Amino acid sequence: MSGEFTARNKVAIVGYAQSQVVRRGTETVGMTALKTAQAAIADAGLRVDQIDGFVAAQSLPSAGAHELIDGTSFVSADWLSRHLGTQPSYCVGFTGWGQLSGSMSMAINAVASGAARYVLLHRALYNPPGKYGNNPMTEARNERQWGVPQGFFGPIPPIAMVANEYLRRYGGTREVLGRIAVEARKNGARLPWSYWYGKPLSLEDYMAEPLLNDPLCRFDCDIPVQGVGVVILTTAERARDMPHQPVYISSYASGYPRNHRIPLHWTLDEMEEAGEDLGKRLWSAAGFGPRDVQLAQPYDAFSPFVPLWLEALGFCPRGEAHRFIMDGGIDSDDPRSIAAISGGGTIGNGRLHGVPQMMECYLQTAGRAGERQREVTNAVSSYSSPHLGGGAIVYTNTP
Amino acid sequence: MTDRPLPVPDAVSAPYWAACARHVLTLPRCSQCATFTSLPDETCPHCHSLDPRFSFEEVSGRGQVRTWTVIRQSFLNGFDVPFLLVDVQLDDQPHVRMIGRLLDGPETPLQLGDRVVVAFEDVTAGVSVPAFALEKAA
Repeated sequence: MSGEFTARNKVAIVGYAQSQVVRRGTETVGMTALKTAQAAIADAGLRVDQIDGFVAAQSLPSAGAHELIDGTSFVSADWLSRHLGTQPSYCVGFTGWGQLSGSMSMAINAVASGAARYVLLHRALYNPPGKYGNNPMTEARNERQWGVPQGFFGPIPPIAMVANEYLRRYGGTREVLGRIAVEARKNGARLPWSYWYGKPLSLEDYMAEPLLNDPLCRFDCDIPVQGVGVVILTTAERARDMPHQPVYISSYASGYPRNHRIPLHWTLDEMEEAGEDLGKRLWSAAGFGPRDVQLAQPYDAFSPFVPLWLEALGFCPRGEAHRFIMDGGIDSDDPRSIAAISGGGTIGNGRLHGVPQMMECYLQTAGRAGERQREVTNAVSSYSSPHLGGGAIVYTNTP
Repeated sequence: MTDRPLPVPDAVSAPYWAACARHVLTLPRCSQCATFTSLPDETCPHCHSLDPRFSFEEVSGRGQVRTWTVIRQSFLNGFDVPFLLVDVQLDDQPHVRMIGRLLDGPETPLQLGDRVVVAFEDVTAGVSVPAFALEKAA
């Protein structure tokens, strides 16, 4: 995005709802999405027939073998709008990587442009039957022929290799990752909707856990779940007369792929370069910087994303986030910290693809975080990774 | 016989896998800008030619370990765990990095920058897969 972000603070989040996060649903994920959407619309003080924009990212867990059925294994914007019984003027789905940040940018643009007055953004995650991520393939075709025959497959080996390079280049041990997982589970254990409610993780248990792909163990990875998050967006003008403190969107920025490599071959260098570029564009568009931000919620599907995002977003110089984490810089029980996983993240909620980061920024900036409430004027969330199409969003309650 | 997923050569990749079977590492090279790439795509990632006509040319297969991981649980069938994967920056074209198993074994002590050279695993009749081994001190 250019430095002249003309939608700066012109679009606001005015309501939300968060479903229970469960390992497997006792209802279809479509039904969960419908109930959550109705709750979010009511939270914003609106009627269903006032929602004229629907935006979603519908791409899915792809590694397992399961049938794709709209409303059952994913929930498109079209499906949700039709089953709510609305007649929207704008109904779109984001299909790329960076599902949460990408769909959020489409929702913001739709409101800013006037394509819709009230946009409902939802993200629904489904956990298919079977062991998540297993793939019984016996042949490696097309792009897979370049990595799978060597045993390179799935998202854990690449992020494990990036984490290994980071820790060895900059110093730091596996305990840095453990601190992240423990912080996420501490905060997730305090959230009634979280899969991990009431179930914190100790550093001792983390350190004793066998490794999956060195240096990562299962506690560094979020657990697949079913759950839905919904927010309602409208213009800053309309938001003034609505029930809750509006949370204005100051900017957003997405990253983009760098060198063409074999599928899922990520490199630390490219993640850092893409992140630095994204951070510059994000703050330029917002008109302020990380020093003005009291709450950061970096993406944490795998724990090594947290230090990389803290550096990309400018909270630490490159290579320093591991020290920042070890020094308590993300501890939500310290009112001076940036509380980087106060919303539990996905490690502390379940695999909700950036929803916990967005929701925590909204709730804290709107003054609706209950016992977790902090002094927050400006906040930032991120999703996925900047070298993959992931992005970040900046929020404020004081435009 | 192996349960490991086997590469299925296609019209573009057939020369690559044929060379692997002879234990020769090749890389796709753009016919327009002569730059090696990691894999042959529709376009050249360097000169962005829409007509790159990649040819597979023999390379040294020497390089340095940029990072690694030990796979102790695999989502693929047919691999005995643990095994060690290295991410290697090739001397032949420094932006080209390859991932392969380190044949020295999963407990091999490594440092960033360690020198390796390509090696091949004969996984089944006529199919060899590139891997790496620590370069022996001269």
